[in-house]
Amino acid sequence: MLLEARNLTKRFLGLVAVSDVSFSVDAGEIVGVIGPNGSGKTTLLSMMAGMLPPSDGAVVWKGEEIQRLRTDVIAARGLVKTFQNPQVFAELSVVDNVLVASHLAFKHALGTRRALDLVGLEHRADLRLAERVREVLALCNLADATDQLAGNLSYGEEKMLGVAMALMCEPEMLLLDEPASGLGREEIENLTSVLRRVHAAGTTLCLVDHKIGFLRGLAERVIALNYGRKIAEGTPEKVLVDPAVVEAYLGRAHA
Amino acid sequence: MTQLVLGQVLNGAIVGSMYGIIALGITLTFGITGIVNFALGEFMMIGAYATFALAERGGLPYPVAVVPAACIAAAAGYLCNKAFFRFTRGNLVNGLLVSIGLISVFESAVLWYWSATPIEMHYVLPGAIRLGDVTLPKMKLLVFAVIVVVIVLTYVGLARTWLGRASFAYAQNAEAATLMGVHTERLVTAVMLYSTGLAGLGGALYASLYSLEPALGGVYVLKGMEAAILGGIGSLMGSLWGGVILGVIEAVGSIFLPTAFRDAYGLVVLVAILLFRPSGLFGDET
Amino acid sequence: MIARAIFWGALALLPLMVKTDFVLTIFIYAFIFGILGVTFDLVFGFTGQLSMFHPAVFGVSAYMTHLLVVNAKLPFWLATLPAAATAVVLSIVVGGICFKFRLKTFYFAVVTLAFSEMARLIVMNWNSVTNGTLGLVVSGKPTIWWPGAGVVAIKGPVAWYYLTLVWLAATVFVCARVLRSWMGRAFGAIRLNEDLARTLGINVFRYKLVSFALGSALASFAGGLYGYYTGYIDPGYLGINQSMEVLAMVLLGGQGTLTGPIVGSLVLTGLPHVIDLRAEARAILYGAILIFTILVMPRGIVGTLRAWRARRAA
Repeated sequence: MLLEARNLTKRFLGLVAVSDVSFSVDAGEIVGVIGPNGSGKTTLLSMMAGMLPPSDGAVVWKGEEIQRLRTDVIAARGLVKTFQNPQVFAELSVVDNVLVASHLAFKHALGTRRALDLVGLEHRADLRLAERVREVLALCNLADATDQLAGNLSYGEEKMLGVAMALMCEPEMLLLDEPASGLGREEIENLTSVLRRVHAAGTTLCLVDHKIGFLRGLAERVIALNYGRKIAEGTPEKVLVDPAVVEAYLGRAHA
Repeated sequence: MTQLVLGQVLNGAIVGSMYGIIALGITLTFGITGIVNFALGEFMMIGAYATFALAERGGLPYPVAVVPAACIAAAAGYLCNKAFFRFTRGNLVNGLLVSIGLISVFESAVLWYWSATPIEMHYVLPGAIRLGDVTLPKMKLLVFAVIVVVIVLTYVGLARTWLGRASFAYAQNAEAATLMGVHTERLVTAVMLYSTGLAGLGGALYASLYSLEPALGGVYVLKGMEAAILGGIGSLMGSLWGGVILGVIEAVGSIFLPTAFRDAYGLVVLVAILLFRPSGLFGDET
Repeated sequence: MIARAIFWGALALLPLMVKTDFVLTIFIYAFIFGILGVTFDLVFGFTGQLSMFHPAVFGVSAYMTHLLVVNAKLPFWLATLPAAATAVVLSIVVGGICFKFRLKTFYFAVVTLAFSEMARLIVMNWNSVTNGTLGLVVSGKPTIWWPGAGVVAIKGPVAWYYLTLVWLAATVFVCARVLRSWMGRAFGAIRLNEDLARTLGINVFRYKLVSFALGSALASFAGGLYGYYTGYIDPGYLGINQSMEVLAMVLLGGQGTLTGPIVGSLVLTGLPHVIDLRAEARAILYGAILIFTILVMPRGIVGTLRAWRARRAA
């Protein structure tokens, strides 16, 4: 069990956004979380990435509770999250964005020897880094846009840049918050193939989205939320015909 | 001993009220328009010197000289806003640099014309009042009263009127305010006029108590800024409280600790408050 | 690249073409303040932290360097090291407090200003050590070892010119190296978007502190040099005016660049002397230049030139 959510609850003043949700993700899985808008998916994911403190419950990563840890510490431990609204450095170029994201990778590769980079002595590491940056950009179909300012990219490209930056952190597990939202069909296909390749290379994935078709194509296991509660769990086929899930999305008449 | 402390507290409060009127100007400007007017002390200085010129040279009786002096300061503020400040809205560093430039210009201009020799007005309201064992000059009490009244009136004026609501709407969301018909340019001008006028008034009052030198602006803007932050930027009554508290801390601190470090006592309290309550004593928690 | 070579080359060759002491003196002051400006820009322009603590470091190290030379009989260069170490310690304490509490720009500036003022008051009143407002007179000279001549004292405008120029170049070199490395990238990320930087694994607190401490350490040498060059140290070094001057220099020359603060320093130090006016008029001109720059050229001289060049290339 790589990541476990234990009885996670989040209250905002009067509103209960997430209520007593528990599930786990094993290494190598692709798990999806679905639910209609307002079901608490994003809040749940934020708690799992340590960005939002839960009102109750715990998040356990590799056996240790992480919900009170600093964001950068969690990222350093291998758990990285992307954002629904892509977070990039708009004033920097695409390649510079990815270079900034290489901070952790650089640390992992060199440890304290990275101090040598300060005096310009780590040429080999520099070269390997440049290659890795190229790889990641190519993987995310951004190879043509390397020198463009991130602020000038299209929405879809920005989202891919967000994914590229997260990948550059060399995460063991990637949490993706609505990666397909706002993307056209071709971009979704591209995203799906990128995520499959990333998964094949060894990264565990947990995605939140409300596009059922997109998730069905990727996830091995799906968890359904409604009004902050877990209402179903299982393979995509099983969950998507579950009466509670159908009711949540379409209303009672269809159940 | 208690008489000493009490006397110092009262004196500190009076000095603090002058910090307060500058603080009010700063909090109004930054809170509503997002402009950092670090040169506000210069408008106080202009008000002070203008009062001197009108009363001593122009022969006007002091109370009559105060109003035109404040207006001169406000006029200067209007010009500076029109030419410079309104372009620095929301940009702390730019506002700071424009302020630095203006401080240099104003201080040097006054220095040129009047030289650095401190000048003094003759006694405006001689005499003192005795409260128990504590003696307080009448003029100081009058200054304190005037400042408190002005600040309270400002608070009431803004809290209860349409202008006030418009100001706070603008402070929250300038675009939305425009869409709702608030004349934003005029609002910014009005705030700048009023805050510099207040500073000018403070200067005019200052002139009745102390001797004037061109550098007084620099000292008071720092104290005013401290008071504004202490009270909480955006809180109008907070600027008065912040000023008074600062004045009292400095005065009382000087009794028990070396006077030389007077300025530091207020600073230490300010830092402590900022660390644990960044929005100041009465500011909004954002 | 070429522009930079011309810039440094011109500076290196200047004393051969200019013989008046007066002009050289202006450059010497400009170089020393340039060091202050460059190190300030490291923290402000590159890492995005508006610190008003620089003059405190400048002043304290000026005093410390001199006092160590006089009392501990250390040679100048050796005395600068404990001064630099003190600067680092002070900035770690002040920075630690400010960054731990995650103070936002405006409040960070205010708190660092408060600490700077406290330092100034201490220096001003610690009469036994610092001689208070009377200041200290510095009569020694730094010495260097020159091949052929042995140990030589730095005397005269030309020697001081090259000493300060070399030191400025060294400071710029160190800063450039750091900025080009992974550390520099972390600084930039912090400046642009702290929260995003955190999600990418950057320890924002640590790197803010490193940038602050490094800037202070490098600036401390400017303090030592200045004290020895002017021959006089007083508490005014730690004043808020110093902060304003450094800020003005950096903004005029171009924040976020390394040559910008140097250009700004040259202009602000030199221009008032080039135009022969009385002191008050010069101050008015100084103020006018600042206002003009920020409103018309917010990127500063170097920044505007670079943007203009980039647009022409496109």
